Amino acid sequence: MIRALALLAGALAAPAPLAHHPEPLPALEYAPPPPGSYVLHRIMRAPDGPVLGLDGRSRPLSRYTRGQITLLGFIYTTCVDPEGCPLAYRVFDALKEAIVANTALHAKVRFVTLSFDPARDTPEAMRHYAGSRAVDKGGGLRWYFLTTGSARALMPLVEGFGQDVRVTVDRSSGRPRRELSHVLKVFLIDRAGDVREIYSSNFLHPQVVLNDIETLLMEER
Amino acid sequence: MAHHRDLRITAMLFVAGAAFIGAAGADETCNSPYISKLIKGQEDFVYVWALGVEGLGDGSDKLVTVDVNPKSKSYGKVIHMVSTGARVEAHHMGFTDDRRQIWAGGLADNRIWVFDIATDPAKPKIVRTIADLGDKSGYLGPHTYYAMPGRMLVQALSNVKDKGGVTGMALYNNKGQFIASYAMPTQGGGDGYGYDLAVNPKKNVLLTSSFAGYANYMRPLGELVKDGEAMKKFGNTMVAWDLKAMKPKKIFSVPGAPLEIRWSLNPKDNWAITATALTAKLWLVKQDGKGEWTAGEVGTIGDPAKIPLPVDISITRDGRGLWVNTFMDGKTRYFDLSNPEAPKQTYEKATGKQVNMISQSWDGKRVYITSSLLANWDKGGADNEQFLRGFAWDGKELVQKFEVDFTKEKLGRAHHMKLGSKALHGT
Repeated sequence: MIRALALLAGALAAPAPLAHHPEPLPALEYAPPPPGSYVLHRIMRAPDGPVLGLDGRSRPLSRYTRGQITLLGFIYTTCVDPEGCPLAYRVFDALKEAIVANTALHAKVRFVTLSFDPARDTPEAMRHYAGSRAVDKGGGLRWYFLTTGSARALMPLVEGFGQDVRVTVDRSSGRPRRELSHVLKVFLIDRAGDVREIYSSNFLHPQVVLNDIETLLMEER
Repeated sequence: MAHHRDLRITAMLFVAGAAFIGAAGADETCNSPYISKLIKGQEDFVYVWALGVEGLGDGSDKLVTVDVNPKSKSYGKVIHMVSTGARVEAHHMGFTDDRRQIWAGGLADNRIWVFDIATDPAKPKIVRTIADLGDKSGYLGPHTYYAMPGRMLVQALSNVKDKGGVTGMALYNNKGQFIASYAMPTQGGGDGYGYDLAVNPKKNVLLTSSFAGYANYMRPLGELVKDGEAMKKFGNTMVAWDLKAMKPKKIFSVPGAPLEIRWSLNPKDNWAITATALTAKLWLVKQDGKGEWTAGEVGTIGDPAKIPLPVDISITRDGRGLWVNTFMDGKTRYFDLSNPEAPKQTYEKATGKQVNMISQSWDGKRVYITSSLLANWDKGGADNEQFLRGFAWDGKELVQKFEVDFTKEKLGRAHHMKLGSKALHGT
């Protein structure tokens, strides 16, 4: 774990090579409590429903939220809010480096990026968005990019997670532009499919998430 | 007038060293930092959580919607109300993190009413009643509803066992399912009492304050102030918690019932301020050069010997100004917080015969004030004004723009306020 944190510190100081936004993440302004010194309560069950992988095949979301610790974030590929999807991406990238570098965490954690814009984020659009992140390079961490086939399929997932989404129209540029207004939330889900932490933009930090992952793993020992 | 005499007795007792009181808080500059949707333009509504009064209207606690958009034909008018069918000392309320719902409760009961304000922001409706707070946590009298991501942290004032002031916090998910409870510390200088809570996510700090239990706040004031033992049962502490671990880290001695807690929203600042009801002082909680959290008295509100009774505070969005309402003298005071170590009062105005809550718009140009403290503690006779008043603030003078008379409208006692907007919900 210490090694993972050391690598994480390095990843934060120098932006991850794959990052869409290369500016470094802000430093954590406090020393988080050590892993295992606190309890992550079961907040709620992660919802289930059909999702589409990059191959376009429909599978239940539970296939991606059970059996391993899962970090799940909603995104839409055209999001430009720096405190929204791009921030989540940067944190996921930094975390990925730390996890890949720590073999003790291999095959115990997965990432899921789920679109809440099925109209634009087709499996093909998601494949383009994911780039090399979705490729399994044998680093002990799989990152799944998922979407849904329709708003009807999406809504039970959005509501089940409590991820607020609202369609707005930005007219500031003179041309109406459809945007999805949302509060950034990232969900930490345990092996059994229970949500154990929900991060928002003001405390979504890789070191905090890594401690929480370690705390969940310590429960099992 | 009986209540009025009681308050004078209280004042005399206070001068003699006795103690009492309690009240409430929140507005657009004082919401949980996890609520990302703030109204930064003109608000459309003020939701007022009102205590029912027996024989007045339906006698029930209710959520009242008042139109406060000056461009509206119904500006300054009540446009909707929804009754709970209960009368349980309605007190405070809070938004969920997505601002789609308001959670509200009463101090005489353990029920929490959840209102949907997203479907039609002008017409909130009850979508859920949570009734297991006492069974699950042992606490009584839910007071502060503080949005956490996907959850609501509820600070109670009392407990079901002895109805005293030893209490704690309960955590629910946004679906209304109980998750966990956290006792206020009773060791290491802790008195176990609770009142308000406020979070600084960047510092991983949760601050809590302390007031009194059901046995005190539900008693008629005149009776209470004559009970020397009861008068000792008020909170004198604040607690800094490790937010992530939800464990107390440091307990501060803050005599005189510290109530509302306001973190400065200025990103460069690193402090919170509170007012003590009984001693009429402003206290600053800050991190010192070594990273240690400290609490210190930094100012006086009015003449403490006259018991002005500060009951609510509202901080400006830049952390440079603070409104303070004092119940006894019905005054609204403004403090310059340019130096938070030495707040300076720069303005005051009598805004009612009794005033309690104060809320301001994000831009600070509009200020809303209500009148009720607690059913058994409000003044009597002609002094028992019950209202929502809206004011304009130009930095120099508060000018009243409208008033809703809650007695005339048969609504009850006006207490906590939250601001609402059509645009936030796409309507």
